[in-house]
Amino acid sequence: MSTARSRYEQFLVDLAADYRPQRQWAEGRGIYLIIGHFFVGVAGGAWVYGVLFAAPATLIVAYLLAALGGLAHLLNLARPERFWRMMTRVKTSWVARGFWGLLLFLLGGLLYLPPLFAPTISWSSSGPIAEIGNVLAWAGAVLMIVYMGFVYSTSKGIPFWHSPLHPILYIAYALRGGAAALLTTVALLDLPIDPQSGLLKSWIIITAIVIVLWAFELHTVITAGDPAAKQSVHELFRGRLILYVYVGILVIGLLIPVLLVSGTIVRVGQTTLAVVGLASIAGDFFIKFASIKAGVHRSIQLARP
Amino acid sequence: MRLGMVIDLKRCIGCYGCQLSCKAEHGTPPGVFRTRVTKKETGQYPSVSLISLPVQCNHCDDPPCVAACPTGASFVWQDDGTVDIDPDKCVGCRSCMMACPYSNRYFIEERHYYGEQRATEHEKFFELKIQTGTVTKCDFCRDRVKEGKLPACVANCPTVARHFGDLDDPNSEVSRLIKERAGFVLHPEQGTKPRVYYLPA
Repeated sequence: MSTARSRYEQFLVDLAADYRPQRQWAEGRGIYLIIGHFFVGVAGGAWVYGVLFAAPATLIVAYLLAALGGLAHLLNLARPERFWRMMTRVKTSWVARGFWGLLLFLLGGLLYLPPLFAPTISWSSSGPIAEIGNVLAWAGAVLMIVYMGFVYSTSKGIPFWHSPLHPILYIAYALRGGAAALLTTVALLDLPIDPQSGLLKSWIIITAIVIVLWAFELHTVITAGDPAAKQSVHELFRGRLILYVYVGILVIGLLIPVLLVSGTIVRVGQTTLAVVGLASIAGDFFIKFASIKAGVHRSIQLARP
Repeated sequence: MRLGMVIDLKRCIGCYGCQLSCKAEHGTPPGVFRTRVTKKETGQYPSVSLISLPVQCNHCDDPPCVAACPTGASFVWQDDGTVDIDPDKCVGCRSCMMACPYSNRYFIEERHYYGEQRATEHEKFFELKIQTGTVTKCDFCRDRVKEGKLPACVANCPTVARHFGDLDDPNSEVSRLIKERAGFVLHPEQGTKPRVYYLPA
C-alpha cells in the first residue's frame, strides 16, 4: 500500500471520529514545524542568556540553531519556493511575523557576530554596523520568542492550543531552553562563567515557572475547557502520547535535571551541568512535540443544537 | 451583497449527493472534500437515530483563516464576501487549517487518483487546476455563480435541502428561511459570523 493511500485511509478514519487529531503539523513534513519551533525557541532564549552572561560562544550557538530552525521551517512548507510570500501579511499573521523575526535575527547576527570573533574584519564590534546588527538581532530574538505561542493560540480550530496562556508558556519554554543552552555551552566549551553565579538559579526559577504555567493550563482545560481540549489532555496523560509525557517531559526533561541540580545524586560539576542542560533541552522538545501532537480539531457534530 | 447558504436539516436525507456533485464539479482528489456529509449515530438501543450534517466552508464574515494566512493566499472577494484561496500564492504552511474552527479546509498533499493506477479521464480534465502542496476549500462555486448558475451542491440536492442567495437582501429566500425557521450557525461562540446557516430538523 502506498504512503499516499495509507494516509488517505487514515484520514477517512479520522473524519469519522468525534475528535479528529490534527496531523498536518505533526506528521509527514509537519514534523519539521515542531523541530523548527524547537530550534527557534531555544535560539531566541540562548541569545538572551548569551548576552546577559556575556557568552559570545552561546550567541554563535543561538545563531546556528536559528539557521537550522529556519531550514526546518522551509522543509515544513509544501511549496518552499514561494517562501518569500510569507513576508506580506505581517499585519494579521503571526506566521508572517515569525518569518520576519527569523529574518531580522539572521541578518542582525550576520552583522553583529563576526567582529566578536574576527577582529581583523572591516567593521568593529563597537561600530555602527555591529550596533545595527545588535538591534536587529535583538528585535528578531524577541519576535522569535514571542511569535510561536501566538501561532498556536490563534488557531481556533484546535481548542487545546487556543488559550491565552499558550504565548506565555512558549516564552517560558524559550527562556528555559536558552538557560539550558548556556549551561551546556558553559560545560562543554569550558567557558569562564561560574554557573553558581546565577545561571543555575535562573534555570531553576524558569523551570519552576514552566511547571506552574503548564500545570495551570492543564488545570484550566480540565475544569473549564472545550471538550476537544479535554480530549487533548486525555491524549497526553492516558492516550497515545503517554510515553512522551511521562518519559520525555517528566523524567528526562524534569526529574533528571532537578535531581542532578539538587545535588542528591552527584556533585554539580562540568559533566553534570552538561547533562542538566541537554536533558532540559530534550524535555523542551518533548513538551512542544507532545502539546502539538495532542491537538485535536473542534468537533462539528457536537456543536449541533 | 453577502452570498450565503441555508441547509435544511429536516429535508436532508444524508444521500451524499452534494458531496458527490461537488467532487464531480471540482475534480478533487481522494481525501479532499469541499463539502462533505458527516453522520453520527446517537441514542441507545432501541431509541437510536442517525444524524446527517452536511459541512463546508462557512465563508465567515470574520474569517480567522484569512487573518492566519501569511501570504494573502486566503482572501475575501469584495464583491460578494466569499472567502477564497489563490493556489498560486499558497505556500502550504497549513496555518489556515488550524485557524478554521470548522475544519473545512483540506490539504492536497500528493496527487493520487480514484483509479487504481492512474488518473481517470475526468481527473485528467482537472489535472492543471489542482495544485499539490496547497490548501483547498469550498468557493461557493464561484465560476458557476458568475454564469448565473447555482453552486453544484445546491443544484444537485435531490430533496431541495440547500438554498443559496444574498443574505443582505431581506426578501431573498435564504433571509426568509433563516428568519421564519430560526436558522442557526455552527459554533457561534467563536465569533466568526458564518454565512452557512442550518434549519433545525
